[in-house]
Amino acid sequence: MRPDTSSPLLLAEGLVRDFELPGGALFSRKKILRAVSEVSFSIGRREVLGLVGESGSGKTTIGRLVMRLLPPTRGRILFDGIDLTALSGGALRSHRRRFQMVFQDPYASLNPRMRVREIVEEPLAVHGIEHGKAARRERVAHLLERVGLSARDMERLPREFSGGGRQRIGIARAIACGPELLVADEPIASLDLSMGAQIINLFSSLVETEGMSLLFISHDIPVVRYLSDRVAVLYRGSVVESGPTEKVFSSPRHPYTRLLTEGAFSSEPATPQGELRSPDSSAPTVSAGSLSAREVGLCAFLPRCGEARPECRILPPPLYSDGEGGEALCHLLQGEIAWLPLHPSNQGRPSDVPIASSR
Amino acid sequence: MGGGETLLCVDNLTVTLATREGTIEPVKEVSFSVGRGEAVGLVGESGSGKTLMGLSLLGLFPPGAKPPKGRILFEGSDLLSLSPSRLREIRGQKISMVFQEPQSALNPVLTVATQMEEIYKSHTALPSSEIRGRILERLREAGLPDPLTVSRSYPHQLSGGMRQRVMIAMALALDPLLVIADEPTTALDPTVALQILALLSRIRKSSGQSLLFISHDLSHVRRVSDRVLLMYAGRIVEESRSPIFFSTGPRHPYGRALLASRPEGATLTRKDGPLAAIGGQVPPLWDLPEGCSFAPRCERADDLCRSVLPPWKSEGEGRVFCHHPVDTPLGAPVHAA
Repeated sequence: MRPDTSSPLLLAEGLVRDFELPGGALFSRKKILRAVSEVSFSIGRREVLGLVGESGSGKTTIGRLVMRLLPPTRGRILFDGIDLTALSGGALRSHRRRFQMVFQDPYASLNPRMRVREIVEEPLAVHGIEHGKAARRERVAHLLERVGLSARDMERLPREFSGGGRQRIGIARAIACGPELLVADEPIASLDLSMGAQIINLFSSLVETEGMSLLFISHDIPVVRYLSDRVAVLYRGSVVESGPTEKVFSSPRHPYTRLLTEGAFSSEPATPQGELRSPDSSAPTVSAGSLSAREVGLCAFLPRCGEARPECRILPPPLYSDGEGGEALCHLLQGEIAWLPLHPSNQGRPSDVPIASSR
Repeated sequence: MGGGETLLCVDNLTVTLATREGTIEPVKEVSFSVGRGEAVGLVGESGSGKTLMGLSLLGLFPPGAKPPKGRILFEGSDLLSLSPSRLREIRGQKISMVFQEPQSALNPVLTVATQMEEIYKSHTALPSSEIRGRILERLREAGLPDPLTVSRSYPHQLSGGMRQRVMIAMALALDPLLVIADEPTTALDPTVALQILALLSRIRKSSGQSLLFISHDLSHVRRVSDRVLLMYAGRIVEESRSPIFFSTGPRHPYGRALLASRPEGATLTRKDGPLAAIGGQVPPLWDLPEGCSFAPRCERADDLCRSVLPPWKSEGEGRVFCHHPVDTPLGAPVHAA
């Protein structure tokens, strides 16, 4: 994705993240898993970018890269024009209050021994905001009310709250320092239906009234469609399609996006045909030595694709753009009106690193 | 209620548990039936009692449970009054279960074949050669392309989708009459979940089994069920034919609110306003309000709802447990005004 006309708040360029896999024989070459492969995207101010993908697609890794909880193997992350990847230590810390994270599991991401007040107060102390006990207390009370809790909850412990209540505490902590960007990784996956809607509404109001930007990471397509201005669809570490939400979901161009949306938006009874169209995503353990399509730079979706053409088996997929924000990484767009290939020099991936299967 | 002959009839079942917080009834005065060959969806949020309801059908009750009240009639005989050995025969052979988390429901140190052999050896007198053939056949029916390799694999060598297929193959090993699937798709990726739903539907249609599909995911229930049961705080609060539930809409305000709290299918965005979230949360079972349990969260509730238990109201093939059921068909804007 290219930046929009106005300068974006966040710009990720060519992000790559490799992980060394454990195991392997002594002295044998380490196996490398490429969890994120040449991923670029931008998030504007007051904008919600939905990051969609299945488990193993690298969406959580991308969230952690953006938060600088992980350093990228390659690529840059520009936050308001500042290259976060070049910063470390105190310099990085001074910027951290501007981007904050809401985690997936509100049971694991809150310290069970800390009271709600202490949890929400901690970022204020760390970043030196609101000196003085009374001022801090007041700020915490205000934050709790903002997320739908009450000042009376201050001295309670996380275990006294339901999943939804805990997620609110996590959000209060994340917005304590008034960040410009929130990264939310599957924030409603562990919540009940009725709780999930409340939390979605809370995110929505933080964007609309507080003007925050949001990177919303989820596999829940209807929710992403509701909340996001733009979406990026991830498959095995690559963004295979991106663009304005309505465009991507109402006329998906990549076969994988079609597979995802077909499942999410049709209410047709399940059919055996549907089953045949989507073979299982992975075979039992990939045997070492054999190269997967992705490893040799071909389309990662090739083994599951029902529409593959001969060129898909020979050439890496080019990135096509429709000139209006829509992009897709797929051979099928060749010759389509309005879709043109982008920077052909960047096609394919350098194959200097052996890549294992991401499953 | 169901189509055709009744296979299972739960009659006024109440399960009572002693907990630290007090005595609770996670399944309260529950009655429903499942016809032969019918798929019934049991919907509810966590804590609604749906999982315990499913386990009750296998005669499995948690520690601290008092003897359950009511009857569970399966092919005419009451499972609650059967001897443990007779119950064991029915369990596995006539009623089987697919669990939510295949990772923890399968034994990690035994191969798939060994685990499936166990089923046949404990329930049948088939010779080993015959058993091996059946195992491969079941795995193939469950949509596993290479049954031989899978049968020799350990669970950790299989993907989540494949493990769930193995679970289904095991549940179908003895051609049961009723399969209970408790959140079988929750731990799976969306596209894999759809394959599993398609598989459950296909197997049921080809072999005529009955299915009790327990889930919190309304879109999944819609795909596989002929009939829907909605549970809230231990009680069934609505029963409806699936097409009616999802097109005309549920009549219980809780069902309506659940449907509206998801942006499902609608081309609704955050710019159109907030989702119609249900306020508050499910009440703890040891501290249920007077009258209707949903009343504190219900927009239609009045003093009657807050003091008197609602009556059952029937309509056509459906029924609703509510003083003021919704009469208008679905189709009005999904979001809050």
